[in-house]
Amino acid sequence: MEDRMRQLDLLKHTDTVNELLARYGVKFGIYKNNEFKEQLFPFDAIPRIIEHEEFLFLERGLKQRVMALNLFIKDIYSKKQIVKDGIVPEDFIFASSGYMAECENAMPPRGIYAHISGIDLVKGKDGHWYILEDNLRVPSGASYPMIARELCRRSSPDTFHDNHLEDNRNYAGLLRHTMDYVNTGGHTVILTPGRYNAAYFEHSYLAEKTGAHLVNGSELRVKNDRLYYVSVDGSLEPVGAVYRRISDDYLDPMNFRPDSLIGIPHIYDVFRKGNVALLNAPGNGVADDKGIYYFVPKMIRYYLDEEPVLSNAPTYLPFYEEDMRYVLENFDRLVLKDVAEAGGYGVVFGSSMSKEQKEDFIALLKREPRRFIAQEVIDFQDLDIMDDCFVVPRKADLRAFVLMAEEPLVWKSGLTRFSRNPDSFIVNSSQGGGFKDTWVLSQ
Amino acid sequence: MKKLTFDYYMQIDYSETVSSCHFTIKCLPKETLRQRAENVKVLLSPDVPYNMGRDSFGNAQIYGWDDVAHTTFSFRITGDVYTGLDRREEQIDEDMLAVFRHPHGLNRAGEGLFAYHEKLAGELQADAYERALFLTHRLHEDFVYEKGCTDVGTTAEEAWKLGRGVCQDYAHILIALLHMEGIPARYVTGMIPGEGASHAWVEIAKDGFWYGIDPTNDIPAGDDYIKIGVGRDAADCLINRGIMHGGGSQTQVVRVSVNEERKD
Repeated sequence: MEDRMRQLDLLKHTDTVNELLARYGVKFGIYKNNEFKEQLFPFDAIPRIIEHEEFLFLERGLKQRVMALNLFIKDIYSKKQIVKDGIVPEDFIFASSGYMAECENAMPPRGIYAHISGIDLVKGKDGHWYILEDNLRVPSGASYPMIARELCRRSSPDTFHDNHLEDNRNYAGLLRHTMDYVNTGGHTVILTPGRYNAAYFEHSYLAEKTGAHLVNGSELRVKNDRLYYVSVDGSLEPVGAVYRRISDDYLDPMNFRPDSLIGIPHIYDVFRKGNVALLNAPGNGVADDKGIYYFVPKMIRYYLDEEPVLSNAPTYLPFYEEDMRYVLENFDRLVLKDVAEAGGYGVVFGSSMSKEQKEDFIALLKREPRRFIAQEVIDFQDLDIMDDCFVVPRKADLRAFVLMAEEPLVWKSGLTRFSRNPDSFIVNSSQGGGFKDTWVLSQ
Repeated sequence: MKKLTFDYYMQIDYSETVSSCHFTIKCLPKETLRQRAENVKVLLSPDVPYNMGRDSFGNAQIYGWDDVAHTTFSFRITGDVYTGLDRREEQIDEDMLAVFRHPHGLNRAGEGLFAYHEKLAGELQADAYERALFLTHRLHEDFVYEKGCTDVGTTAEEAWKLGRGVCQDYAHILIALLHMEGIPARYVTGMIPGEGASHAWVEIAKDGFWYGIDPTNDIPAGDDYIKIGVGRDAADCLINRGIMHGGGSQTQVVRVSVNEERKD
């Protein structure tokens, strides 16, 4: 493997690829101090390489996980059998901000809730893969390795001739199939909140690659229990599937947040009647909350009657007395996460707290035990990145994309994000990290 | 059994023209064990087409899009309701019951209500329904009915701290107290005889059925009550909801009248 890396002609083209990425507008928009800024998303040309056999294993585990998560969401918004059977305590559903009673008794087309899932994993120094979190609402990131691969192939065609890897340019086709599978009749559109959204590049890129219309809320209209696209000449054309890149809260001001200006009034009423597919379905937050994460292996056993293929990071719920005791005794070596926060925020390491901070935190933990989870800090493998002319090790994770149509499909690539700060474990792009292409070897 | 006739009228006047608006109206009497509606008529102005459906709590809703320019929007719903057909309101949907056992939105308690609950704890009976009646009775004594000091967004805790409020506040506070007792409870909108606005009360779960209790009047919701919608709190069953383009400032008037039809 090392030899193969050194031979990579590709590395010589890092700057060219980064320049092209900037020219194509591959940027990440972030708000800081109330100001909108666009940051380049730095690309590192050394790919993460996953061996063929290893990926088959990941694929099995990811399919299983997304199957179980879909069954869980469907169960929660209907029979709630998993709660009645005592597998998941009621508190973790109904006190969670991700649970939306508005989604009760509304079955999405073909019963699919999480059509596009972004599952974050890390590989430990022990060689084991661990699931870090599930993203079942509006996971972004697939477009970055897609375009990076395209540009790399152009810059260094030989690299892709000499190495036998899976072509990841099929993502658009898989996504299109996923959207068509649930389409209730009519156009397929990608709904964006607009160019000030962090992932606007991705919205436009995926629209271009899948052939779906890129629309904003004002271009869609509900009439007579159907959703329409208002075309340039003012005529109404039916829409059967919406890959919406706006959050549940803002999707429909008549059913969710009334102050949303980017949503479509009554779109959820059309959905409830079964006349349009929304990808992903509203309400998925109930399954990707950090508190629910603990229960995913239990869900796999419960719904599929199988042992989980992939492991969670060892996780403790202070909600349970026994776990609380463990957390207090081992505080200094655990990482604590606020279940309501995302994007690398609300994460604190026991070891990095001052005595006072620790006391305050423990008081808070005792007051609101359901609000936090504690995890063992996984010592994950470093990946090599190019820092100027030097190869340096950095922490990295992998976001794998799983699409759900007739059955779950795992994209043979993924977004590898790394931390540019040598001391940081947090790789989120909203905190300034970079990305790599993910190669899955085809043999 | 009683036969009540009702007339629910809502009008919004705008200072400027509204070019279009979206509306959702949840104002149709619910079919339950205790009541049955007849001759229900819906009148919208401007007279635009609408669709009908049910929300996740099973409440009937009328919704649509009004693209006729207007400065006044109104709706009138009239009909007859036979009430008091049963003491039980509705059979409990076991799949939804847990939803009504947990604090949410406007029915959330805070330190004030937790302290009040603790004070009453010693006097509480073993039977859940008896406890609910007792809490209703105490709340009725300890909270003052007064219009204008709370609004549609006031939470149970905020109203309790003020010590005053209207039917919506009584209902939210009672639900918060019932949650502390582990008793599932839901918010109800509806109408009672007389002239005025809509009314709100509470339903509690007992032996597989929902039973209505009115904390504002300290009585069970009997044959004077016309039930419209249910939810976890008032926000789940707002009678009308809308967004509009234009309109400037607005004034809303609601006139509800319910009369008992007497046989001569």
